[in-house]
Amino acid sequence: MNTFSLILKEIGFRKLNFILGLLAVTTAVVLLVAFDTTGRAYRRETRRIMRNMGQNLRIIPRQTSMDKFWSAGFSEHTMPEQYVHRFASLRGYSYTHLTATLQKSVSWRDKTVILTGILPEVLPADKRHQKPMTFFVEPGTVYLGSEVAGMFNIKAGDMIDLFGKMFKVIKCLSPSGSSDDIRIYGDLHDIQNILNLKGRINEIKALECLCLIEDKNDPRSMLEIAQQQLAEILPEGKVLLLKGIAEIRQKQRAAMEGYLAFVMPMIIIVCGAWIAVLAHNNVNQRRSEIGIMRSLGYGSGRIALLILGKAVLTGLLGAAAGFFIGTAVALDIGPEIFKVTAKAIKFEYSLLPVMLIAAPVFAAVAGFIPAMIAVAQDPASTLKEE
Amino acid sequence: MIILENITKTYSTRRGSVHALDGISLRIEKGDFVVIRGPSGSGKTTLLMIIAGMLRPTRGRAVVGQSDLYELGLKGRAQFRAGNIGFIFQMFHLVPYLNITENIALAGPAAGKKPDKTRLAALLNDFGLAERAFHKPSQLSAGEKQRTAIARALHNQPKIILADEPTGNLDPENAHSVLAHLRDFHHQGGTVIVVTHGSEADRYANRIINMNNGRVENLG
Repeated sequence: MNTFSLILKEIGFRKLNFILGLLAVTTAVVLLVAFDTTGRAYRRETRRIMRNMGQNLRIIPRQTSMDKFWSAGFSEHTMPEQYVHRFASLRGYSYTHLTATLQKSVSWRDKTVILTGILPEVLPADKRHQKPMTFFVEPGTVYLGSEVAGMFNIKAGDMIDLFGKMFKVIKCLSPSGSSDDIRIYGDLHDIQNILNLKGRINEIKALECLCLIEDKNDPRSMLEIAQQQLAEILPEGKVLLLKGIAEIRQKQRAAMEGYLAFVMPMIIIVCGAWIAVLAHNNVNQRRSEIGIMRSLGYGSGRIALLILGKAVLTGLLGAAAGFFIGTAVALDIGPEIFKVTAKAIKFEYSLLPVMLIAAPVFAAVAGFIPAMIAVAQDPASTLKEE
Repeated sequence: MIILENITKTYSTRRGSVHALDGISLRIEKGDFVVIRGPSGSGKTTLLMIIAGMLRPTRGRAVVGQSDLYELGLKGRAQFRAGNIGFIFQMFHLVPYLNITENIALAGPAAGKKPDKTRLAALLNDFGLAERAFHKPSQLSAGEKQRTAIARALHNQPKIILADEPTGNLDPENAHSVLAHLRDFHHQGGTVIVVTHGSEADRYANRIINMNNGRVENLG
């Protein structure tokens, strides 16, 4: 009889032990999958909320008149486009999203619109895999704000003439209740060409931008440090730091990460201990059986395989069951919590192979000590027992 | 041939050392039917476990056939047991979730043997278990359980049978049946060592050894 058959027969005989073990693994996987699936929704929602709140570091041309800037929402002056790449290569700053824009109010078809050229996001080397936060407009195409599209009855797929050049409308955006509704978004270089401002931008925006202060006792604020440092490499730039957003974001992230850092290990420790206790009880119940197998000449490896094999099988079944139950829980509860991104909560199939590998390994690790106890068990003392 | 030289087994407990075996030297010839008799706690089961290669003595040497058992590693001793020794216990120690046939066949893989249906059928017939072939141990009488244990011990055609109180849980009729099976194995050239505190096996033995307090009182 092979090891797998022995494991199956033993499971059939001690059903309760197996069911409780399966419950432990399933519970752990359900919680992990549900947390992860809703956590992804949380991150998507946070990203969206943050996008609506704006960027926390803005670099604008130095000669910008701030009264005009705040009333218009952008600078009437420009600075070199290469500043964005200089900033990206600067050590001592961390950020998650970085982009550059060129914006200008123009009259188009007798209406005022804001032409907005967007540079594709510059992502830090360690975050190249992450999804860009701002949309990317292909050269030769435009996105239209809802007012612009509505005023001229333009639909996605239409071709429009923009100061003598034809562009395809890819998307008409939904109303935002802001100046975005009168924008025409295009590729930065297309907009530069239209405005005859080749190689110029009028704003650099960065999200989650933090200045890494080497000296903790430095009395200067982050804004002062950034202003002084950036003045050297971006002489035509002026730094604005939306401190409140940066701090709120940082606190929010720290709180969520702190919560998950507490909850996840707790789940793993509790369920791991649960499996270990069950495996230990199982080994105790099987003392006679293990003893007789040793007396028949079964080696330590085969005995350990019986215990660990059962743990791995429990892990596999628990992972599969836990993935589907956890996802169902997330799909059921998630939309109640994350209303904005409710539709984005979906089956995270990438978690299934991870769980199918992690859960058996986790169960095997939890069952390792009981397996070693089984192997080290003195068969002589077991078999002498009456 | 089994040679034990100055075997000592000492257990350390909180109350101090307990000498289970105290300098035992013994020689058992191939084909002997030996009864080792003694009261509970005399060390006879410990001696049996040492002969089986399952319990390392504190001192001394145990040679079975050509093998100096405790010079072998754990794996070596396990292989030695699988190929040479059959075990019978008072408590039967059948695996509860396997049926009778599977319990008997359980010995095979340890010795690297593939399932042999003919051999299994012969054992089931010889031990009057054919009608119980697919019953679980919980459905058997004590006598049937012990006959199953003997069939399992004989499955790999061992050279030596070690029996620890094999009739301790049986009525006289079943006790006789079990001992008769051991006698048959002995008559076929096998070596049998039975440890017991009773005298029912005496008439089957060609040698009786008495033990007390971890020492051999009478070499038989």
